Formats: sequence, structure tokens, C-alpha cells
Amino acid sequence: MKKMEQVQCPVDQHGEGNLVPDPELSSWEALPVLPDHQTQGVELVWAYAIPVLDKKKTSRLVKEVSAVYPLVGQGHLKRVRTCPDKTSPHALEILLCLASPGRDTVEGVRSLSELLPDGQVDRCDLGEPYLVHVPAHPPLTRAQFEEAKRHWPTAFHENKHISSALQGLLFSKEDKAKMQTYMEKAIHTARQGAEKGMKAVGAVVVDPATEDVLAVGHDCSSASNPLLHATMVCIDLVAQRQGRGAYSFNAFPACTISPSGDRAIPSASKSIQPGVMRKFESRRDGLPYICTGYDLYVTSEPCVMCAMALLHSRIQRVFYGASSPDGALGTRYKIHSKEDLNHHFEVFRGILETECCSLDQKKQGQQCGSSQL
Amino acid sequence: MEGPARTDEDDDDQEDEDEEEERARWMERATHMAQEALENGEVPVGCLMVYNNKIVGMGRNEVNETKNATRHAEMVAIDQVLNWCLRRGKNPTEVFQRTVLYVTVEPCIMCAAALRIMRIPLVVYGCQNERFGGCGSVLNISSDDLPNTGTAFQCIPGHRAKEAVEMLKTFYKQENPNAPKSKVRKLDGHKR
Repeated sequence: MKKMEQVQCPVDQHGEGNLVPDPELSSWEALPVLPDHQTQGVELVWAYAIPVLDKKKTSRLVKEVSAVYPLVGQGHLKRVRTCPDKTSPHALEILLCLASPGRDTVEGVRSLSELLPDGQVDRCDLGEPYLVHVPAHPPLTRAQFEEAKRHWPTAFHENKHISSALQGLLFSKEDKAKMQTYMEKAIHTARQGAEKGMKAVGAVVVDPATEDVLAVGHDCSSASNPLLHATMVCIDLVAQRQGRGAYSFNAFPACTISPSGDRAIPSASKSIQPGVMRKFESRRDGLPYICTGYDLYVTSEPCVMCAMALLHSRIQRVFYGASSPDGALGTRYKIHSKEDLNHHFEVFRGILETECCSLDQKKQGQQCGSSQL
Repeated sequence: MEGPARTDEDDDDQEDEDEEEERARWMERATHMAQEALENGEVPVGCLMVYNNKIVGMGRNEVNETKNATRHAEMVAIDQVLNWCLRRGKNPTEVFQRTVLYVTVEPCIMCAAALRIMRIPLVVYGCQNERFGGCGSVLNISSDDLPNTGTAFQCIPGHRAKEAVEMLKTFYKQENPNAPKSKVRKLDGHKR
């Protein structure tokens, strides 16, 4: 019997400098990296439900009960449900209020007269309250909705964008072909960097509105500048397109920018030297923020520094190939969707994953992420 | 808490005072850098890096003038220290491992990661960075277990915090005099 194929991220067989043969589009998938609250299961909390003894009084009861317990913040929960127990003498149940987690579950269930003490609700048409589990938050995905409504009827406003993303329907075949072209460029650049002795990570900045490649860069980090990761290089190259920037990449001809239409490209400056920065007089102009509306294609998942640099630069979307062990766009953190931060962006992983995984193996050992291993 | 013998306590107090005085001195310089940033229309954050009781790098926010949103004070100072190492033929790793950063505002998530990669052991800072802080305010990059992202570092917050906050307030006040320009200017804001 033939030996089983066991290498998931094959080491590059083609030798450095060779281009990856065009893989079939179907060999990779752009997988959305969604925030935790969109992918997690449904969180449940205890609430009081009360049987409605006289079905005809339901609408009046709902009105009165809602006045006492408006359920602010629980707008996704419906007030009334059909009793799930078909043998029950009553047909409907009203959701009254959330239980207080410590008191009600530990010290026992409160009675109807305790929950509705004054005369605001006519209690004679209500049975004795009991505890039920209800979803704590509105469901965001269809999967969450299906789970939520098994516990209590729940409103659901489907986010079409998230649904399409989860079903893999966000990108057409045409889109995928373009994405593959951009990532191939990033891979090619990574190899050019590796030929110069750099870590084999490459990145490309694209304006999706015009489909122009604005900047191409590879990892330029070394003992004399450990922070020049491919993403940081690309961010500076975009700044250089706008006539500014902080570094010179003349020693790395593979790091390039496309000419910007209306802005002058700064004249060639000194060869790369860590710490040497070109100085410009402070000037304000009305240009949009540096990477606003742009996409980044990068062969491996950005680290914390690079992920936050992309956030500061207001990137629109990031596409990466291979996951990284300390990666900050899915693996260890999801900086792109952290609620406390002032900018959010979309992230997709898995673009030409196999090719990207194989890039940096010689130097990095098992740098491939956990995604498909 | 039980204190040690009286004389030891006096020694400790003296040591604490000396350390405190030294920190105050460096933080004053950092505050000047922040002031310079403010005068140049940048978010007022200033910092310096001290190695062997000597300033080997200084920085202030340069985001607007470089059009590179990553040019925070710490990143500028790191490049200066690298340059200092290059000129003197020093090994950057050895220098950074014995360098203390003094900065007016808590480093953001990006800078905290950069400081980890550089293996800086200690950061003394002024006020919290509620919006982007990477040393506890938003994320704990300084102390999280990240085996592939340099080393964790220690923080001593609260030095001249009030001054740092005042400068930030001044910046955002002057940023906001008339509404029309505020959209663009708001986007310039990085550290608060």
C-alpha cells in the first residue's frame, strides 16, 4: 500500500524563486473570521413565565404585565408563547420578567402575589409563575436563532451579510479569481524577500474600488529593525504614495508602490537605515485617512502589532492565507471586531492557504496555524 | 502589613525617594516631548528610552507629518534607539533588554506589542489610554502569554498623569473649534 499523505502544509518543492503553479480556485475557501458573539452558542438566563388561564384575556394581560415589567433590553423576546406541553390545561404562557440569578434560583421561586403585588394586574386569570430559560441576547445568525427559539419564541432580523459570509456565498467565482491574483502577488513578494534572506511573508494593498494594487511589500525585519513586518512595510508604502512615509526601502526593490494619480512620489532617498526618517513640515490636508477603504492581502495572519497598526490605519478588509500562533485577527485575538475599539474591519482567512503555509517553513518551523491542521 | 526593622524601613524610604525623583526627572523630559507634539498639531504623547542612565532615544507622535498612522511616540523612539545601536556598534537586543521606557500615556495595543518584540523590560507611564491601551485598559498585551511575540514587560503607571491628561484635553479642545473640519481632524486622533 502506498504511504498515506500526511503533510498538510507541504514544504515548498519547487525551490525558492519559482512561482506557485496556479491552483484550482476550488482548492481554497475564504473563511470569515467573525466576532465571538456571532459564532458562540446562545447564552440563556432564567425568567418567570406565567400560565394564562383564560385565553380570551391574553391581550389585556400582556398590556398590564408589560406596564409593570417592560423588559427593556429584552426586545428580542416575545411576550406570549403556546404552552409546549400539549397535555397542559392552559394553552398560552406570558413572559413576566427576568429572574434575579442569585435569589430566585437559590432561594426558590417567587409567588404570583410577590411578583405582581399591587392591583395593576388582575391576577385571577393567571396561574402560578415558574422559571424558564430564555435567550439573553438577540440571535445574530440563523444557527443562533434556531437554538434560541427552542427555549423561548424570539424575534430574528437576519443579517444577510453575515449569513452569506457563513454560507460561503459572499464572493463570486470572479471575486475569488481576483483574490487569488492578489494573494499570488503577495506570495511572489514573500519569495523575493526570502531570496534576500528575509522572513517569507508578503503583503499587498489593493483599492477594491479601482482594483489597483497600491503597494507591495515583504517582511524587512532584521536584528537592526525587528519591527518591519510586511504589514508595517505596506502601511508605510501607502504613506509614501501620498508623499510622506517614514522609511526608505531602496535596499528592497521588491517593496514597491504604484504611482498615485494626483500626488507626487517623493524622490529616491537614502538606502534603508533603521531610525533614519525623512522629516516633513507639519501640514494638514483634507485627504482621507491613510488606508480608508483599502484591502490588505497578507500571506500569514498579522501579529498584535500589525493588526492594531491596520486598525489605526482604518483598513477596510484583510485577507490572509495561513494562521499564526500569536495571530491577532482570529487566533489569539480578534482585534478587528473588538467592541471597545473605534474602528472595525472584516477579516477572511484561508486564501491560498496551502501555498501560504508552505512559505515560511524553513525559517519558522511549524508556523502554520491551527486552521486546517 | 508588618514592616521590617526601623532602620531598614528608613533605607527603603530613601531608595524609594531616589527612584521616585529619577522617574520624575525622566517623565518631565517626556512631558516636554508631548508638549512639542502638541505644538506641531500631533496627539500629545512623548517618550524617552533610558539605557545606563542615559537617553538613547526620544519620540513624539508623528502620525500627521508622516501620514503613517503607526508613527506613535514609542515607535519613533524605538527607531532612534536602533539607530543609536547601529552608530555605536551595539547589539540592539542587549541594549533594549536593559532599557526603560518613560511615556506620558499608556502605550496602545500596537506599541505594547512592539515593546514586547523589542524585549523592553519596564515601562513607566503617565495616564491611562482608555481607548487603545495595551497595558490593561483595552487589552493586556504587556502581560498576556504570547510565546511568539517577544517578552512580557512590567508597568509603573501614574507618573505625572494629570499633566498628560491636561495636554490631551487641550489637544482635543483645539482640534474641535468649529464643526466643519472636525470630521477630518477626528480621524487624526490616535491616543487619547
